[in-house]
Amino acid sequence: MQVMVYQDVGITQREEAQMGMITIDYKDRRPLYQQLMEKIEELALGGLIKADEQLPSVRSLAVELAINPNTIQRAYGELEKKGIVYSVPGRGSFLAASQEALLSKSRDVILRDLLQLIERAKSCGIGREMFLTEAAKFYDEGNDGSDYNTKYQQAF
Amino acid sequence: MMKGMMVVITTQNISKRFNDVLALNDISLHINKGAVFGLVGTNGAGKSTFLRLLAGIYRPDSGSITIDDQPIWENNEVKRRICYISDEQYFFANATPLEVARYYNGIYPNFDLQRFSELMQGFELTGNRKINTFSKGMKKQLSVILGLSAGVDYIFCDETFDGLDPVMRHAVKSLFAADVADRGLTPIIASHNLRELEDICDHVGLLHRGGVLLEKDLDDMKLGAGKVQCVLPEGVEPSSLGLNIVIDEQRGQLHTLIARGTQEEIMAKVAAANPVFMEFLPLTLEEFFIMETEVAGYDLKKLFI
Repeated sequence: MQVMVYQDVGITQREEAQMGMITIDYKDRRPLYQQLMEKIEELALGGLIKADEQLPSVRSLAVELAINPNTIQRAYGELEKKGIVYSVPGRGSFLAASQEALLSKSRDVILRDLLQLIERAKSCGIGREMFLTEAAKFYDEGNDGSDYNTKYQQAF
Repeated sequence: MMKGMMVVITTQNISKRFNDVLALNDISLHINKGAVFGLVGTNGAGKSTFLRLLAGIYRPDSGSITIDDQPIWENNEVKRRICYISDEQYFFANATPLEVARYYNGIYPNFDLQRFSELMQGFELTGNRKINTFSKGMKKQLSVILGLSAGVDYIFCDETFDGLDPVMRHAVKSLFAADVADRGLTPIIASHNLRELEDICDHVGLLHRGGVLLEKDLDDMKLGAGKVQCVLPEGVEPSSLGLNIVIDEQRGQLHTLIARGTQEEIMAKVAAANPVFMEFLPLTLEEFFIMETEVAGYDLKKLFI
């Protein structure tokens, strides 16, 4: 069944590609606008949306996801406050050139995860020296092409 | 939200009684332009009565209802700008959809016959078949199509989504979203299916026993409380965490707490007690309402099953 929702919208190919990537997880309990923000941040970090690229319009995304346009407006508004997105009156929202805000947030998340990992390492008896040595090896892994990855995979 | 700030529908202390049944008791609500307002509550909570009062079908015993600052009762000028989709579909005997559309066209000045036939085509409904041969779901689709073609500013839906299949629901929500974005349509959607309202509404009002238990921005509501599952070190009680705990359920060592506050606040306070285990879960709309109603002293759990 083809319901004629889109016919007068004029969705561009670019928009269509982006919208395909912005999805909603109905099992996720967080507010929808937060989910949307996170999705767009992920796409930006992954380079799937480029600097100064236009984001899907509020209307087309609302129609595509069948959710309230106000929710999408809110997500874009919050992203703008964080400096991830900028808006041009009458034209829409665009991805900001500098993603410093995003990168610094990602770094915070990674450091927080690292903290948890260290706690776990401590609790099963991995000492400081061992942790740091192993961490250093993994950190350099990409540079010297060694095979730690295979070694550790075998262990499991 | 930017355009959501203008109040367009106001009910002030309205009450409605049917013989000895007090269907609505002192309801005061404000609805903003372009908001999608969800009205939840059990059958018999007063949802349908409320919508019929808004649509000017019933007259309140006391209190006032204004739409765009004008009373709705016996006011054709305002009624031309609203469409009420009742939970039970009624059409003229032996009428076809096209005939009904022409009738609507005579009543609603902005009725769009072109859009009507496009939507009929999209939904694969036949315009010249008698409506009394339609299934219940098809009649519901027809009402939605008529409502969307009427070009009105306000659309009141009484359990409209509940009778539609999932594909149809998605399509109808998309259509609503488009009209909200394009022309600031303000839908009020009554439903007992909270999951259904969660993605399309931005404001929600909970009716219970004829009164409004709460009325809030959906996202603010979800961010204003949370659920933490935690195992605390021995000797530490949840009550000593300094949290605003609403519900505390204990199974063995595991506490499931529902507390008011943002995720950060709640997490920080639990973390300060060095829990053995802790996990934060945002509340679903259902959990939120169960929480609020329990606080209000109602045992509403039966409602949402």
